[in-house]
Amino acid sequence: MAGFLLSVHVVAAIVFVGSVTVAVSLFPRYARLALEEETAAPALPAVHLLHRISRVYAVLALAVPVFGIAVGSALGVLGEPWVLVSMALTLAAGLLLGGVVLPRQRQLLQLAEGGPAPTSAAAALVAPTTRQADAAVLVRRLAMASGTFNLLWAVVVVLMILRPGSTTGV
Amino acid sequence: MQTRWLTVAAAVETASLVLLLTNLATVHLPAVASALGPVHGFCYLVVIVLAWQLPVPTRVRLRALVPAIGGLLVLRLWHRAASRPASPPPRTS
Repeated sequence: MAGFLLSVHVVAAIVFVGSVTVAVSLFPRYARLALEEETAAPALPAVHLLHRISRVYAVLALAVPVFGIAVGSALGVLGEPWVLVSMALTLAAGLLLGGVVLPRQRQLLQLAEGGPAPTSAAAALVAPTTRQADAAVLVRRLAMASGTFNLLWAVVVVLMILRPGSTTGV
Repeated sequence: MQTRWLTVAAAVETASLVLLLTNLATVHLPAVASALGPVHGFCYLVVIVLAWQLPVPTRVRLRALVPAIGGLLVLRLWHRAASRPASPPPRTS
């Protein structure tokens, strides 16, 4: 049974989390293009799609920790340090994705569509150049948060493979 | 339609728990329990996330946290609010 649960866990991690990591790392680049006057028209659909992939696959990626905990409990390894550290890092990555990356993506999407300014209502009244500068700062911060998110996932995957301190010997 | 996936997740959330409890009370196959348990847990979390994205008061969103029937509770309040858009959904508890 642990084999079945582990298969679901790994397939979900590759398909769902993998898609999210690719989408969040591409988003800042296309957001930058969508905020430029000349390149906005071709880049905007891509930004929409990347945000949609990030959002939808992030929800589906919830299957990864759920099935991961099920595998851990089936194998009796839930108390091992590498599992506990992985769970903490996964929680951190999930909070970063849901609390920082996805909301900032939505802000930039609204900004690229010419919607309300992201920082405050007053910012909507300032000159377009200032708004673009604000957007550039937002894109940089989003790129940093996305990079941190991907790094956290990479660390979790390495922990899953190396399993430092594992007592099962596999 | 905003609640399509919430409807699916809420149905699976409740159905999987019914199957889990039926399994527990009757044949009690460990394979069924370990396959359906994570499915139920996954649907529980998906219901919470999807309910949080709906344009409803926090009071309604919190119903998604109720185990087993949280999704169905949120959907019931959502449909009630949709049929009477002028007034907020009445308190049920």
